[in-house]
Amino acid sequence: MGYKIYREKFADLFHELRASYEIYAPVTKKDKGMYSDTDLITYDKVESFTEIVFDKKTFFSPKEIVFPIRQTLFYFTEDSVLEPTKLEKDIVIFARACDINSFRSLDAIFLQNGPYEDPYYKKLRQRVKFILLPCDGFENCYCACLGTNITDNYSAYVDVRDDAVYCKVKDAYWKGLWSKYGEESEVEPRYVSKNENTFEIPQKINNSIFEHQMWSEYTNRCTGCGRCTVVCPTCTCFTVHDIRYDDNSKYGERRRVWASCQIDGFTEMAGGHGYRHKQGERTRFRVLHKISDFKKRFGFQMCVGCGRCEDACQEYISLKNCIHKISEIMAEEEKV
Amino acid sequence: MSVDTKKLVKNAYRVTKERYLTALRVRVPGGHLDTKQMTLISRIADRYGRGEVHITTRQGFEIPGIPMSRMEEVNREITPLLDALQKTTGIDLKVTFEGYPAAGTRNVSACIGNRVCPFANYDTTRLAQDIEGIIYPNDFHVKIAVSGCPNDCIKAHMQDVGILGQVEPLYDSKRCIGCKACVDNCRKRVTGALKFHNFTVQRDHEKCTGCGECILKCPTAAWTRGEKYYSVVIMGRTGKKNPRLAAPFLRWVARDVVLKICENLYSYIDKHIDRSLPKEHVGNIVDRTGYPVFRDEVLQNVDLGERAMVAKHINFGGYEYHSNASF
Amino acid sequence: MIRNPYMPQEAEILKIFQETDINYTFRLKTDLKVKSGQFLEVSIPRIGEAPISVSDFGDGYLDLTIRKVGRVTQALHNLQPGDKFFIRGPYGNGFPIDKLKDRRLIVAAGGTGLAPVKSLINQYYNDSLEIKSLQLLAGFKSPGDILFSSELEKWSKKFPVEITVDRGSENWKGRVGLVTKLVADLDISEVENTMVIVVGPPLMMKFTTQEFVKKKISIGNIYLSFERKMSCGIGKCGHCKIDDTYVCLEGPVFEYSKAIQLLD
Repeated sequence: MGYKIYREKFADLFHELRASYEIYAPVTKKDKGMYSDTDLITYDKVESFTEIVFDKKTFFSPKEIVFPIRQTLFYFTEDSVLEPTKLEKDIVIFARACDINSFRSLDAIFLQNGPYEDPYYKKLRQRVKFILLPCDGFENCYCACLGTNITDNYSAYVDVRDDAVYCKVKDAYWKGLWSKYGEESEVEPRYVSKNENTFEIPQKINNSIFEHQMWSEYTNRCTGCGRCTVVCPTCTCFTVHDIRYDDNSKYGERRRVWASCQIDGFTEMAGGHGYRHKQGERTRFRVLHKISDFKKRFGFQMCVGCGRCEDACQEYISLKNCIHKISEIMAEEEKV
Repeated sequence: MSVDTKKLVKNAYRVTKERYLTALRVRVPGGHLDTKQMTLISRIADRYGRGEVHITTRQGFEIPGIPMSRMEEVNREITPLLDALQKTTGIDLKVTFEGYPAAGTRNVSACIGNRVCPFANYDTTRLAQDIEGIIYPNDFHVKIAVSGCPNDCIKAHMQDVGILGQVEPLYDSKRCIGCKACVDNCRKRVTGALKFHNFTVQRDHEKCTGCGECILKCPTAAWTRGEKYYSVVIMGRTGKKNPRLAAPFLRWVARDVVLKICENLYSYIDKHIDRSLPKEHVGNIVDRTGYPVFRDEVLQNVDLGERAMVAKHINFGGYEYHSNASF
Repeated sequence: MIRNPYMPQEAEILKIFQETDINYTFRLKTDLKVKSGQFLEVSIPRIGEAPISVSDFGDGYLDLTIRKVGRVTQALHNLQPGDKFFIRGPYGNGFPIDKLKDRRLIVAAGGTGLAPVKSLINQYYNDSLEIKSLQLLAGFKSPGDILFSSELEKWSKKFPVEITVDRGSENWKGRVGLVTKLVADLDISEVENTMVIVVGPPLMMKFTTQEFVKKKISIGNIYLSFERKMSCGIGKCGHCKIDDTYVCLEGPVFEYSKAIQLLD
């Protein structure tokens, strides 16, 4: 069902929604950019509708809402192991199609891979409802090449235009709320149909790519800071470690923390042995995971084409450029 | 030909080795200039000089080869430069067609700052212009430079007053992935103020220079920018007598403190300068009065704020031609 | 409430056997059902968790042979019989017992790589592994690093056991050299009916496997056990992923024909 709701009315609707949900959306954090006098556009909990930024891509993805950067798995007391039990409200996330689609990849790892569901992820994930945002595309995006420009996985859609908010509500539970504030109107989500960057991800990538000299370029360029992985909406790796509290050494916790295959230590075992020491090898590992390995395992592309890895790279390394090179190499091999 | 050289110098010209020829020093606060003014400087050099300009160490321009007889014409011609100076700095020069009203207080120089440089912790151009607005025009011989961060690319440590940008880095442990990029960088490039303990970064505020590199290194925005602060170093100088680097005077002070101490500096000079000399550098005045007098007078009516640190003593050091040297 | 697979269970230490200066076997009281080649996530609260392969098991107990190399293992070595630590698992596939049936088996182990195959060897020794023959080739850094000496002694009475060390010592009368040399010197009678298990440090596995291939052992008959950094053991943390394979789920034991595709 579609609705047209005037802005001030929508603010009331939002207020009512907030009573039942924790709402996360793109916001501007003033002066919180890396460089002085710059802002950070990112996901955060919002109190009012006016805080939401509709016209900019967030630097970080919404994954941290369901997969916190640091998450306590257990609390240790002298003689017990306790699970965190805090109960929270249901969660609403305002997100574009690519970001909503990224949750498929997160779900695949946390809920499907291996014999068990990840209970910490599931606890947060099952409380999430999406409100879809329209998108006209941003720099470095290529969602349309991956089909992640479109989604059906949302409870409502909102598009703020001029003095009104145009909405489509799919979730039956929410229709009452929406109809209270607006008049019915024909509304269909607006998606990106074609990005500035168009290319095809190679269907088949031969193992010959492992030994290809194309990766040595990244050994020279990449500094291994890990930004590409922390901003990626689909990167899920983590490391588990224990803490002994400074003020009481008998108490502590076991927590998981985001890990990055680009940062030193990702493969290093006790005793010091590790794999992929060169940044070029790490780039290869990341890129092939995003566009090939994951797909072999789960049947769909992991990368959603949001372009955040490229937005964030301080060395101007472009994933789409790298994919393009792989395509060319594979096409060349095909000929031979 | 009769020329009042005192007036000439006050007018930002100089007596040169070529008789009857002078050179004009153009002020460029913060070393930042729009291209319209560049064009005008170029035209003056073509029309009155030798078609060349010299870029001074203080980021001004010097136009050589101007006949002293044409100074009045030049002064009229540079009116747009003085108008622009008024506009960018907020000074009220009253008259802008009679040339620069003073040259003792030198052009305030600045590194490129945060309009361009990722390391800079503030807009150095703006601060240089605001300081110029407070201290110019003035005959006292004072050199000030402002740097965006403690890297000090502008060499603020060679000035009477050097200002270095600081930022208070704020750490959100919930966002930290323990990559240690900040800790490693601080140890290698800065002062080693960061330590990794219990999978969390700890910052030693005493050691922290406020350079902000931890924020730049952090991939997750666990480190973000807090308040802007400034550190002030004083009485650095070159010269034949006792060259020395500026010494730390203030740390972690706010912008308005910086502006206020620049203002108070002039009252201090006015009170203590030896008027029997043709001119006296501020560094020599401080040598005479001692640091405590300088400190107390410059900090008069200044609200330093909670974070401020003030040097208790200063041992300026440096070297003298005959001592501290081994040949 | 969903079952929490990260929740570890407490287990009591029954006995501790010193193997070498830095290797100790911890016998734990537990009813966990494990297979040879599987591993556990072992932890001490407030210190950390680490994947450790099961070296042996029996009725009501299992053994973990642990080398003192990291935070967790260091702390484990401070424990005494009667103390407890935490375990969860077992994880991983283990060795393909069914594929070994009625075959000749050669096990090549390097250093602590002998631990994950120990239970398999003991099963053969106790006549509970239906294979035609077993031959063990074991390499260690030095005589002081030899693991399970009494077992090796015991085993050698029943089947061929060859031991080599990288560096000998005054009293060492045995062989000096790499495991690869032992393989090179092998005279394999029924190549087609021979299965091989190689476990050890990465380079040892690489070259030893190549040596077996030279001996015409089919790459489908060679098994390797991988060691990778792991933070979960259940396919979530991503550390052990190679290509589309998770070592903790599909491994740690891989047929060489598959392992050869797993490029790091």
